[in-house]
Amino acid sequence: MKMDIIISGVGGQGNIFASIVISQYAMSKNFNVLGAETIGAAQRGGSVVSHIRISDGEIYSPIISRGQADLLIGMECVEMLRHLRLLNPQGTYLLNSLRIPTVLNNMGLDEYPDLQEILEAARKYCPNGYVIEASVLAKKLGNIQMTNVVMLGALARIMPFFEYERIKEIVKENSPARFQEANLQGFAEGYKLIS
Amino acid sequence: MGEKKFVMGNTAIARGALEAGVRVVAGYPGTPATEIVEECVGVPGVHVEWANNEKVAFELCTGASLCHVRAMPVMKHNGTNFVTDFLMHVNFTGIRGGLVLISADDPGGLSSQNEEDTRILVHQYAHLPVFDPCSPKEAKAMVKMAFDLSEKTELVFCLRPVTRVCHARGIIEFEDLPKELPPPHYEPDRERFIMSAVELPQFGGLKRPQIRHRWLNEKQNLLKQIMEESPFNWIEKGEGKVGLIGCGMGYTWIKEAEQFVEGKLPLLKIGTLPLPRRLLLSFVRGLEKIVIFEETEPFVENLCKTIFQEEKINIEVLGRSGFLPADGELNLLAVLEGIKKAGPTVKVNIPETPPLDIHIPIRTRTQCVGCNYRGILNALKQTVRKYKGIVAGDIGCHDAGSFRPIELQSTIYCMGSSVPMASGLALTGMNRPVFAFIGDSTFYHNGILGLMNAASNKINVNVILGENTVTAMTGFQPHPGTGVTLAGEKTSPVNVPKLAESMGISYRVVNPYDIKQCREALEAAVKEAGPSLIVSSMPCYLLSTRRGQKVFEPREVQVNEERCNGCMICINDFGCPAISYHKDKKKVSIDKMICVGCGLCVDVCQRGAIS
Repeated sequence: MKMDIIISGVGGQGNIFASIVISQYAMSKNFNVLGAETIGAAQRGGSVVSHIRISDGEIYSPIISRGQADLLIGMECVEMLRHLRLLNPQGTYLLNSLRIPTVLNNMGLDEYPDLQEILEAARKYCPNGYVIEASVLAKKLGNIQMTNVVMLGALARIMPFFEYERIKEIVKENSPARFQEANLQGFAEGYKLIS
Repeated sequence: MGEKKFVMGNTAIARGALEAGVRVVAGYPGTPATEIVEECVGVPGVHVEWANNEKVAFELCTGASLCHVRAMPVMKHNGTNFVTDFLMHVNFTGIRGGLVLISADDPGGLSSQNEEDTRILVHQYAHLPVFDPCSPKEAKAMVKMAFDLSEKTELVFCLRPVTRVCHARGIIEFEDLPKELPPPHYEPDRERFIMSAVELPQFGGLKRPQIRHRWLNEKQNLLKQIMEESPFNWIEKGEGKVGLIGCGMGYTWIKEAEQFVEGKLPLLKIGTLPLPRRLLLSFVRGLEKIVIFEETEPFVENLCKTIFQEEKINIEVLGRSGFLPADGELNLLAVLEGIKKAGPTVKVNIPETPPLDIHIPIRTRTQCVGCNYRGILNALKQTVRKYKGIVAGDIGCHDAGSFRPIELQSTIYCMGSSVPMASGLALTGMNRPVFAFIGDSTFYHNGILGLMNAASNKINVNVILGENTVTAMTGFQPHPGTGVTLAGEKTSPVNVPKLAESMGISYRVVNPYDIKQCREALEAAVKEAGPSLIVSSMPCYLLSTRRGQKVFEPREVQVNEERCNGCMICINDFGCPAISYHKDKKKVSIDKMICVGCGLCVDVCQRGAIS
């Protein structure tokens, strides 16, 4: 068994928290886990991508290569597109339909593709995808920073590999006390987002 | 059996050092090495510090080592370059307590100004041993062994992890820390530790540097013997006449590639320099061709070629001298292409995916929304435009002012180079004002030397010190201007105005959230002969926010669409991610979700359309 996961987003979206929850979950199920992340200048609004590799056998590279990912979690549209070719077209993607323009988009010197175009490109590449408004829900729940837990909730709904109760426990363990309740609510609401 | 934890490669390296009984850890922050230092904090009896630069860190660690204490200087490749002068002396003297240099390389320049291979500097130039880990787990084992071997050989050992090892996360076993460490003691040994051109009668009057060089050369035999038996080198048997050699991450990529290759090719895993010569020779017996995968230069490749020439072995040696890409990181596809090209009969399945037919915008880095640098950069942009000025930049958060849209700094090289570069630009007599923009951490690193030089040589340069009181870019490490140690103890922060006074430089302290004040100070500096310093002083917004401290009174700002004429000054000269331009309306708007209410844009807009 192997499960290679990419989480892509923009600095500040809580990408690394999600990656730690997933990795600890896999560890708690006695799988081998290896991963990597691009950090550094990420908190300044750059692209952030986490690679998580889960296997019952030996894992070598911490980086997932072209077409090898089984799951792609896109926390932002363009950032998902940027890493889409890492996904096996037979795999699954979960996209938060949030669009965060780049500096050049703001300047009017570069076009950010429109949502329909993005969804079409993704669908054409991989038929098995889920698109949710995780940031909209997170904001409604009081804090856009909860986008990551909303997406983890949705993940527990679409991938049988992720057991709801156990992931919930790990979200709880990793949440600072003052965010614990809100994070668990976000997780539960995220689960309900997908029918 | 110790406890198993899911941690970063950098944590694994730190843990390895602590388990080996390291007592002094010092470094200067730099991606990808930063967390190694931070992860050593909090262990009783271990002194951990951020030094103001890597050379200071290394020298301090050497002092500790001479007292038979284990020490570890930590840096990224640029730091190792900076340490070169000291390295070329400590290699001759040797050390006492285990001294392990961590020199992290960043192939591909993922978060660096350059890419380079410090194995060459440390091994070829300084003749010191290097371990090149293939994973966080191996990095930990290597650090532990390096401390023992460093003491045994009396030589500095180097661990050279690359970004993919430092920033990988894996399951690492934590073993116990040593309960008791041997007490420090010091005995003078001037024959070793006074590096000077002293004549030595016992060597027929030869000078000491030559004799110490001889000592280092003689150590090489011992090192070669040790590496021959190292657990970090091994052979994996396979079929055929084409063999693969994987060094560090190169080995990891070969193992990854094996699942896409039919049959098993002979494989030699190398983790040490010097090379295990006998192991290498036994590996190539019967092979016609070898391909060497290493990060990043063809270094092991060239060492192999030399050995084969000495041994009169006729074998084709391929690698990063042109057969494989000669720059950038290795990756699965490059390794598979290399194997396919080297062995036409080997069946290689290169993974393919359908192309994407959609434009993907690039996301360039910028300052945080609310960052005070945006105020001083905007004032400088206006001043530069008015007086046809030139700006030499430096390393740090302000460097994003050189990217689109602001495009202010004209040069960025390495730590501290802005002030001397600007001095050079200024003294040519172009009759254009020249500025240097430098952050405070970089200033204390070695930028201060450039300022002293400008002062003592009366060079007409305008130095802007972005004083945000922390090393922000790498994650808020303290520096000599912060007033606190890494362990959280209070210290006296450097007083920059007093420093400027003592150098005889005129200085002006400004609040970067007051663009008008900044502009006036910059204009005054331009009109003044001789060097001048502008201290743009305000704590880092992001760090202050995290600590619940206010650096400005947040205000609600909005665009008056009737007044906005779409001139785009607030975008092109300011570049705040919260402001965007709408082509259809030819107006800008402020995204309330992103805006933090610093209010700087109100002063940027010349038409009063933002309030």
